[in-house]
Amino acid sequence: MALASQDGPAIETRGLTRVFQSRKGFLFRERTRTEALKGVDLTVERGAIFGLLGPNGAGKTTFTKILSTLLLPTDGTALVLGHDVTKETEWLRPRMGLVLGGERGLYNRISGRDNLRYFADLYGVPLAERERRIREVLERVDLLDAADRRVEEYSRGMKQKLHLARGILHRPEILFLDEPTIGLDPKSARETRKLIRSLVSDGVTIFLTTHYMFEAEELCPKLAILSKGRIVARDTVDNLRALIGGDRTIEVEDYGFEDRELAVLRGLPGVSKIVTEEFGPMLRLTLRIRTGETTVDGVRRSLPGHPELAVRERRTSLEDVYLDLVDEEVR
Amino acid sequence: MSGAVADGYTGRRSTYASLRLAFLLFMADPQWLIPSMIAPVIFGLVSFELFRGYGHYYLTYAILGAGMMSMWGQTLYGSGWATGQDREFGTLEPTIQAPTPYLYVVLGRVLWNVVSGLLGGLIVYLVVVAAAGSPPALPDPLAFVVLFLFVMLTLAAVGVVFAAFYVYTRYAGFIQNVGEFAFYVGTGCMFPVVLLPFWTNPIALVFPPTWALDALRYASIPGYVGFSWGFWPDIAGAIGTTAAYLLLAGSVFHRVERHVLEEGNLDHY
Ligand SMILES: Nc1ncnc2c1ncn2[C@@H]1O[C@H](COP(=O)(O)OP(=O)(O)O)[C@@H](O)[C@H]1O
Ligand SMILES: [Mg+2]
Repeated sequence: MALASQDGPAIETRGLTRVFQSRKGFLFRERTRTEALKGVDLTVERGAIFGLLGPNGAGKTTFTKILSTLLLPTDGTALVLGHDVTKETEWLRPRMGLVLGGERGLYNRISGRDNLRYFADLYGVPLAERERRIREVLERVDLLDAADRRVEEYSRGMKQKLHLARGILHRPEILFLDEPTIGLDPKSARETRKLIRSLVSDGVTIFLTTHYMFEAEELCPKLAILSKGRIVARDTVDNLRALIGGDRTIEVEDYGFEDRELAVLRGLPGVSKIVTEEFGPMLRLTLRIRTGETTVDGVRRSLPGHPELAVRERRTSLEDVYLDLVDEEVR
Repeated sequence: MSGAVADGYTGRRSTYASLRLAFLLFMADPQWLIPSMIAPVIFGLVSFELFRGYGHYYLTYAILGAGMMSMWGQTLYGSGWATGQDREFGTLEPTIQAPTPYLYVVLGRVLWNVVSGLLGGLIVYLVVVAAAGSPPALPDPLAFVVLFLFVMLTLAAVGVVFAAFYVYTRYAGFIQNVGEFAFYVGTGCMFPVVLLPFWTNPIALVFPPTWALDALRYASIPGYVGFSWGFWPDIAGAIGTTAAYLLLAGSVFHRVERHVLEEGNLDHY
């Protein structure tokens, strides 16, 4: 780590706040005000992968963009590698990589290799090393064979790999990945996660956002949970798992439930929370049971008139803890 | 991890990278053939018909009129438009996030547009000459070519400033479309400005190409009556306004970037 800059945390934010004032309409403007971040205090150590977990709209992208110098905070401070993201952009930008991912963000009509060449120049990758470096990252993301094809011919997963290749091309000290597997099929998502894991060994700090608990669990030893612009938990995965404690979980599925029936379930002994999810025509209720003797049979008995009812008990998972913390339904 | 920021970006390298990208995107997209190849042919023919019979130097008028029409589109419109495309592609964010100031990216594109604008000018020249069956009577062909390039550079300066608007807002295209026709006429692209109502002149003088074009007409059309101050003041005016535009661009870009980071609209399109 010859050029790595001092010690100290990779990321440090204090009271980070961001308000969006958006205007609708061109002539007759209607203002809406969204507080995307409401005073976020977060410290992330160097090395390893840190996960920021949160449902859609929690403020993950907003947070990532502020840290990567693409957005200014309304209030509060943010230091990355010890440098202020609003003032020291010249120092920071060459040392950061950013992967926003998605279908956009690439020049589709030219080849993957030409995309990388362009950004290598803008990032000041040493000219003498450029072609070798490009080949290296293409190999790494397994795109070498497709390198000279137009990006518009790439699958969604290949585009994501190209995004990643661009993110690491200039060997950043810190890499921001905003929902790197969103919209990918399971196989590409798995490959992408594998690739992300392999990057840690380079000593680069990775800051990753996701709305999948299992992804955070798989990739990030430490994580924070963001909900409605606030950090609601900041811990290791192991400690979060301890929050499960002795909780049990019972799932109930059918085509629909009446409010009266939900009230009955809520009244069962020890039921601390019910999460409702829709699956096409089906409705699934997930019951968290803290204490008490409520069993699968007990639940079944309190829901008469449901001949198709499916009830089962399963292990309480981190996903359940997560849903508790963000206190929201995830569909 | 070693080698971070080893030699850094340089303005020249970034400008060239942007020029190269503009070329690659041009080659990859056949729709460009319309403004760059077909429009000059049409402009040339229309202009030839329009100026036919306007004295001994009508061919020069026709060439300058059509040449400016097509180059205006290429140089100015193209520069701003490419930034609008960056918004649309979602490439504006990664580009702004890279350490290179966006101004260099714009410069590269403007240079490319100068090159392709010159191609348009050449096409116009060939079309008009073919239609007339003879080349225009030019008192000093070398001065003509040099001043032609000079006009291109003044256009490029305007293009750089325009590109800033495209970074600033996704409505820039709309604004430019509305303004474009006024600019065509106002800057004397098509007709000499002095033929327009007097009140339009002060507006036109804000644009560097107005001055440069007037100088070009003085140099290539004997007996031309343009701005009463004549050739050399035209040149001085062109240089002065161009310098002002470039200075403006330098400071505007910095402020525009700050503004869009505050607004958070870089990904809007
Ligand atoms: N440019 C913007 N203008 C207005 N509102 C925005 C903008 N970007 C994000 N928001 C709002 O801020 C909130 C957080 O958004 P975001 O950071 O994208 O969340 P996430 O990435 O966690 O899904 C949302 O309510 C979103 O609608
Ligand atoms: Mg997001």
